[in-house]
Amino acid sequence: MAEALAQATPGATAASPSLIELEGLTKRYGALVAVDEVSMRVAQGEVRAVIGPNGAGKTTLFHVITGVVPPTSGRVRFAGEDITGLPAHAICQQGLSRTFQLTSLFPEMSARENTMLAAQARRERRWQPFGGAAIFARARSAGDAALEQLGLTHVANRQAGLLSHGDQRLLEVAMAMAQGPRVLLLDEPTQGLSVEETAQAVETLARFLDTARVTVMLVEHDMEVVFRLAHKITVLHRGAVIADGTPAAVKANARVQEAYLGGMT
Amino acid sequence: MFWSRLLGFSVLALLIAAPLGLPAFAMTLLTELVILGLFAMSLDLMVGYTRLVSFGHVAAYGLGAYASGYLLLNTSLPLPYAVLLAALLTGFIAIGVGWVCTLATGVSFSMLTLAFAQLLYAIAFKWTSVTGGSDGLAGIPRRAGPMGMTLLTTKAGFYYFALACLIGSYFLCRNLVNSPFGAVLRGIRENEPKTLALGYNTRLYKIAVVVIAYTLGGLAGALYSPFAGFANTELLFWLLSGQVLIMVIVGGSGTLIGPILGAAFFLTLEHQLSSYTEAWALFFGLVFIAFVLFAPHGIWGLARSWLGRRAAPAERALHG
Repeated sequence: MAEALAQATPGATAASPSLIELEGLTKRYGALVAVDEVSMRVAQGEVRAVIGPNGAGKTTLFHVITGVVPPTSGRVRFAGEDITGLPAHAICQQGLSRTFQLTSLFPEMSARENTMLAAQARRERRWQPFGGAAIFARARSAGDAALEQLGLTHVANRQAGLLSHGDQRLLEVAMAMAQGPRVLLLDEPTQGLSVEETAQAVETLARFLDTARVTVMLVEHDMEVVFRLAHKITVLHRGAVIADGTPAAVKANARVQEAYLGGMT
Repeated sequence: MFWSRLLGFSVLALLIAAPLGLPAFAMTLLTELVILGLFAMSLDLMVGYTRLVSFGHVAAYGLGAYASGYLLLNTSLPLPYAVLLAALLTGFIAIGVGWVCTLATGVSFSMLTLAFAQLLYAIAFKWTSVTGGSDGLAGIPRRAGPMGMTLLTTKAGFYYFALACLIGSYFLCRNLVNSPFGAVLRGIRENEPKTLALGYNTRLYKIAVVVIAYTLGGLAGALYSPFAGFANTELLFWLLSGQVLIMVIVGGSGTLIGPILGAAFFLTLEHQLSSYTEAWALFFGLVFIAFVLFAPHGIWGLARSWLGRRAAPAERALHG
């Protein structure tokens, strides 16, 4: 079924090079199989949503891809290179930046300092213990550009811990973008937001994704968010891929409706 | 800004002029203050800037003290070389300490630092041929030199040497915490998992800060043994680890200056109270509790908010 959908999808031809390739990726915790033989390809420039009911293994999948936990078996390839089992910081250095399901930033620093510290991680000679005015200047321009992309320029000097929850979620995306990543992994970017805040954040994200030319993997369980942002959708159920295709194809898929959407169309 | 600059320069001028006016016993106290201030400031790099709470910082102090004592007793090295070499040796050993301790985080990290300090305490007792066992090392000389220079061997000269070490270390630390490296330390302090996820190898940063803190703590210890003329196991006793941690917190952690003030406060209080009562530590404990409850930013935090209030009207007068 998954193969059939993938073949039927326009745009997923062999010609477009895939930036991320998962091959039989599996993560077991004792008897529990959190991620079960997941194989998928994400093309350059694509916005891919990974959806599924709670406990479907979406976040674990992200953890395995980004090196937070090692996989039990299977491979992760990024731009053709095998990055399976590398430590988290090394994978990030390759150009995969992620956000977390629960807001994770530096609450006592300003929004700008948050993005600067993120940007600085991608610079050479980060160890330089003296001066570093040039490093700070570069980090600041990268950070400010990212803040602008996410519409946060007006809160740049405000302490991150005191921003509204919606702005904090966007700040996390800005931090990831400040690193100039090739792939952005967003773990439920609207988690914990009110309906209104979600609508606003989604509009900002949609505008940003239209111009940013970055490949995105997105975990989300708010269907409206997914259908608004994603080009393609992969559906996980109990750790395994049960469908894979365009939003319209996934919506129409009987197995998905049964497992997840519960008849919603 | 203006007021704190002015204050800084006046304090510095007073410290430099001190040997001219102060009696000998006060100079002894002041030298000890400078050494303890350096010790407390070195711990601030870990506790205040990286949130690595060490319960065993005495390891650095004792290592430095024994190393410089041993070098001065058994080699012909002049005083400044012996002291600097002892500090570097402490830093070298700290690579191993940092590597092991950073395997853990939080309380486990603190416990491992304590374990290392206790290990050194036991070694100091047992390795009699080097450490002098329970007697310690006595009669440590302040040897002249280099090139026959006798300046540092006098009481005032040694004070200036210690003061130069403190001021040099202060500027080194200040540069460090304001550098890109320091920005990463702040990241680790506020949110280590995020710092790691941003692509920083946080463990290496933590090992580096342990090594730097131990080197400077070792420098303080290395100054102490030729100052006191002896090195004994008390310089490796866990009580001192707790006291220096209190100095950092009472003075104001994460400020570098604060811990120096904390050390001054501690020494003065000990000196004053101990002439009245044996139980001076009890009063110090109460002061500590009061600070934690009512002035969590410590002495330096209080001073800064006071200076801030002073500065505001002054600046308005200047620009108004």
